[in-house]
Amino acid sequence: MADAPDARRIGPVVGTASLAGAEPRASLGNRLAGAVLLVPGVAWLTLFFVVPLAMIFVVSLGSRDALDRVVLDQLSLDNYRRAFDPTFLPTFLNSLRYAAATTVLSLAIGYPIAYWISRYGGRHKALLLVLVMLPFWTSYLIRTYAWMIILRDNGVANWALQAVGLTNEPLILLNTDFSVILGMTYGFLPFAILPLYVSIDRLDPALVAAARDLYANGRAAFLRVTLPLTMPGIVAATILTFIPAIGDFVTPDLLGGAETTTIAKVIQELFLEGRDWPFGAALGFLLMVITLGGTLIALRPLRTEVVGA
Amino acid sequence: MTERHDRPTVDIEEVLVRYMVEQRLSRRDLLERIAKVGAYAALAPIIAACTGSGASAAPSAAPSSAPPPSTAPTPTPAPTPVPSPESELFVYNWTDYIGEKTIPDFEKKYGIKVTYDFFSNTDEAYAKLGDDGGGYDVSFPISVDIPAFVAKGALLELDKSLLPNIVNLGAEWANPGYDPDNAHSVPYMWWTTGVGYDTTKIKGTPTSSKALWDESYAKHISMLDDWQEAFGMALIQLGYSANTTDTGQLDEALALLQKQKPLVRVYSTDTIGTLSSGDVWIGQIWGADTYAIQGENENVVFYLPEEGAVRGSDTMAIFSGAKHPIAAHLFIDYMLDAKVSAANTNFIYYMGPNEAAKEFIDPAILGDPALNPEQAIISKLQELLDLGQTVRDEYLSRWQTLRGG
Repeated sequence: MADAPDARRIGPVVGTASLAGAEPRASLGNRLAGAVLLVPGVAWLTLFFVVPLAMIFVVSLGSRDALDRVVLDQLSLDNYRRAFDPTFLPTFLNSLRYAAATTVLSLAIGYPIAYWISRYGGRHKALLLVLVMLPFWTSYLIRTYAWMIILRDNGVANWALQAVGLTNEPLILLNTDFSVILGMTYGFLPFAILPLYVSIDRLDPALVAAARDLYANGRAAFLRVTLPLTMPGIVAATILTFIPAIGDFVTPDLLGGAETTTIAKVIQELFLEGRDWPFGAALGFLLMVITLGGTLIALRPLRTEVVGA
Repeated sequence: MTERHDRPTVDIEEVLVRYMVEQRLSRRDLLERIAKVGAYAALAPIIAACTGSGASAAPSAAPSSAPPPSTAPTPTPAPTPVPSPESELFVYNWTDYIGEKTIPDFEKKYGIKVTYDFFSNTDEAYAKLGDDGGGYDVSFPISVDIPAFVAKGALLELDKSLLPNIVNLGAEWANPGYDPDNAHSVPYMWWTTGVGYDTTKIKGTPTSSKALWDESYAKHISMLDDWQEAFGMALIQLGYSANTTDTGQLDEALALLQKQKPLVRVYSTDTIGTLSSGDVWIGQIWGADTYAIQGENENVVFYLPEEGAVRGSDTMAIFSGAKHPIAAHLFIDYMLDAKVSAANTNFIYYMGPNEAAKEFIDPAILGDPALNPEQAIISKLQELLDLGQTVRDEYLSRWQTLRGG
């Protein structure tokens, strides 16, 4: 199969570290070379993740002077106390709800697609994967605007519903929970399909065949063999959709309505219109901590399987 | 000078200023000279310059003769020399917010090369301008933000002797609340916030902002995604000041907005999109967007609520880091010219505060209540103010309660 190497190339990038355990012990020279190769990655992470995160944290401990400039002479946790004000609870729950719904839907839609490409894609696998990534060739903003045109009262969706006779007058589709979750699921679906594909494709079909030989029916074979063995892909897909979804600003802003405020919107408002950087930083940092914490907890039960140690 | 208005008094004044600038004379020098040698003798060369060959002779308008920036030694000794206008100017304005010929005409007239950049939101612009203008001489901050800029020392105090055309401003603009005596800024254009609605969807002709609380339009109502505008409208409907600092009144306004929220389709500043798509039938909009909305949906009309409304304005200001302050003053003065101001209005469809410009403004604009409301309503307009950190936080926390809850 000419396309097999292509498909496999995605493996080590998106996939898991389970290969590491299988590698032979490296010599000292190899390990040094490995350390040198790590430098760009570590430098990148430090410069663009650790340093900004530290800056956000420091600002979040500060306060404002009369001209709204950040002052750091009296560091305190006041902003975090404000962040736990019940005002923000509904907004935060909203964000969680959207992210959770997006993740569940992305997995539910993405898994069968990934499975189908892997098992039945045949020699078109590479092409099918390119099709999954095809939307990235157009700006996300433009694609979201396209959803606005489709979903609005005089839009394509309402026209179709009325043409078929399902409704008599336009349904309100845009500016609702529905449109936000639809838009986010649409946007993040490729991030779910790719890691799922990698883990499904690496599953040896012989294992499923063996299960069937041992009188497992299709359902049991899936639940007890395929699903557990592709769990690393499911976890990766969950992380890759949930994390960007909880901080997503553009989709709820464009497709959302009066009742769909998210925490990202509140942070944006605090930084710009509220001119309250310390408080905005505190909310942003909390969001980051909660996301990271959640990720670590999600990875925990899988650590032996995924990381291999 | 050729396209300027014909009224001689203003022309002479303009030439006078330019003459003073050229001769490095301050207004005080001129007065001193008049005192010493008499008015005629002192003014003779200027009058000669005015009447002589009219248009092009008096000012050093030819680009080639533009003096090099400030370094050349002055032949005429003067006790307090006013530097001649610099040969360059850096201007930073909103996108599509000036007449199409304004800048080229200015360049031609004064031989000053203008670098003209534009922005489309204040976040972007203010970040770039920083505390000293970030390399720009003149920019166009919103009036609400002037106090903060002044407090930071970001703005140069204007030298009114270099702005003779400031007399063209209407009386109500001479001493605005955000900048007493226009000490650091000059108003440029103003707009109102009112209500736009689709006549094919709304029954009758609403005149009150209460139409935005009408349950029969549920989920087809929009409000601006702007806490000060949303609270401003609610406060005015309740009969309070749009800039109130009374938390009790703010609580009432919050309750009013919370009552409205279930009817609201979206809080958005993209009113051009929402009203033209048909999703929103009636919404709080900036009056100046009416033309753009009508371009997409001709059934949309605009009104200012009878209870009163919010007025906003943009200003012209010189930043403290300006390297070309004289040219900057010259530019602002040029923008205050009646014909230039009218040409700007005729191109961008915003009314300016320039009373003298009115006779040159397109009658269609003057007659449009969305752009130029009747005097009875103008007296009910309130300009939004910078309320300071503490009060702003009171508004913002209620806004977040409204949006989140």
